[in-house]
Amino acid sequence: MNVEISDLTRRFGRTQAVAGVTLATGPGVFGLLGPNGAGKTSLLRMLATVIPPSSGRLRLLGRDPGVYGPRREIRRRLGYLPQNLGYYPGFTVVEFVEYFALLKDMPAGRVPGAVATAVERVGLGDKARAKLRTLSGGMLRRVGIAQAIVNQPELLLLDEPTAGLDPEQRVAFRALLRELGQHATVIVSTHLVEDVGAACSQVALMDQGMLVFHGTPGELTARAEGTAAAGDAPLERGYSAVLAAARSTAAARS
Amino acid sequence: MSDPDARRDGLAASPGGRQDAVPSDVDLGRVWLGVAAQVWRRQPSWLERAAGRLLRSPGLARALVTTPSLLIGWITATLVVLVAGILATLGTGTPFVALLAPAVAAAGIAYAYGPGIDPAWELSGSMAVSDRMVLLVRALAVFGLNAALGLAASAASGAAAAVTFGWLVPMTAVCALALAAATLARSANVGVAAGLAGWAITVLAAQAANGRFTAAVTDSALVVPYLAFAAGCGAIVAYATRIPRGTS
Repeated sequence: MNVEISDLTRRFGRTQAVAGVTLATGPGVFGLLGPNGAGKTSLLRMLATVIPPSSGRLRLLGRDPGVYGPRREIRRRLGYLPQNLGYYPGFTVVEFVEYFALLKDMPAGRVPGAVATAVERVGLGDKARAKLRTLSGGMLRRVGIAQAIVNQPELLLLDEPTAGLDPEQRVAFRALLRELGQHATVIVSTHLVEDVGAACSQVALMDQGMLVFHGTPGELTARAEGTAAAGDAPLERGYSAVLAAARSTAAARS
Repeated sequence: MSDPDARRDGLAASPGGRQDAVPSDVDLGRVWLGVAAQVWRRQPSWLERAAGRLLRSPGLARALVTTPSLLIGWITATLVVLVAGILATLGTGTPFVALLAPAVAAAGIAYAYGPGIDPAWELSGSMAVSDRMVLLVRALAVFGLNAALGLAASAASGAAAAVTFGWLVPMTAVCALALAAATLARSANVGVAAGLAGWAITVLAAQAANGRFTAAVTDSALVVPYLAFAAGCGAIVAYATRIPRGTS
């Protein structure tokens, strides 16, 4: 298992962003669904070793990220696209991807080839030498994806990767996800249910910091059967049904 | 999101538009990527190559050469601080500048690269090369440049020399010490501790050089200012390098 989480929590002051999540997953594309504020980004940031858990057990790629040496090794094999990709406006596409390839400790000799491959894979070959400040939001998102995959990560964490992409780019991106998921664990946080249906072999649904569903997209769709859940597509109806059930259970407890 | 094969098709097309000019066993997608890698690659400068060898990390070397200390805004700010320091020293005849300037400079670095300021802070926090090491490298670059400018100004003004030798050169040395310690120990925390210790030694050594060492270490009136200064430096370093527990 590349990701092993047990009873993981994260608090920010009095707010509990992640409340006792337990999860294990290996290679494949894993969709993380949930409404805004469900705790998806906090969970992803913990997996990216950007913030530590408040409590619980976390192992990534068979290593403990709480210890310096293993954490550095994890980070070498990690790709991360934050929800808000910060970038240096004066850098070109290639300079930006190359900079983070070097910070990922890639051997310098391998960097130019890896950068070219990553930039081409996200379809930005013709913008390789363009300054980031001249790119559209969708192109910047693709630059972020390029830096995330430049080191051929074994664990790829993508927070809202399709935000800003046009429909054609989203279709291409889902194909890229499926390809990457053959060898790596790809965790995609999104609130776009169609992304999950098209690219993910497993899906988890979070609400109020808790994991309220874990299964296949087919199993999520099946949750809508016999309910009057709202949604335009079967998967959306399954999503709504699970959320409604989770919320009524929580309300009954309180 | 594109396939290099599309480029391959472009490469495969002969001037006459025939697609059969390339042997079938040649992977032109791979060829294109090789070409792109060579065309797009940025040749590191001699400074970056030397820094990469010295720091044992091409990533840190790239952080060094891309630091804003080498940009016009920072150079202008450095000159303003230097001139203000000279005027303050001349006007008051007190060593306030020597005491305050390092803290001001350190705060400047902290705020220039801290969370919410550095656009790629979140991303940097997930990198194998510790962002604390990157910060140390950048601090060294900033103080190094400041010291060089101060040395140049010293040729024209005694007050500039006082400011330069009073804190710019020592701070450069302190940063270099911190970076060396961090590089050897592979721990930015060790480097920061070494730097703070080095700065304390530098201040006391300066007092000794002026024949005031005994007063500097025995005058109880100075204990509180020393502690306050050390606490200030510690707080600035803690803020500048703060990463939540367990992540670096």
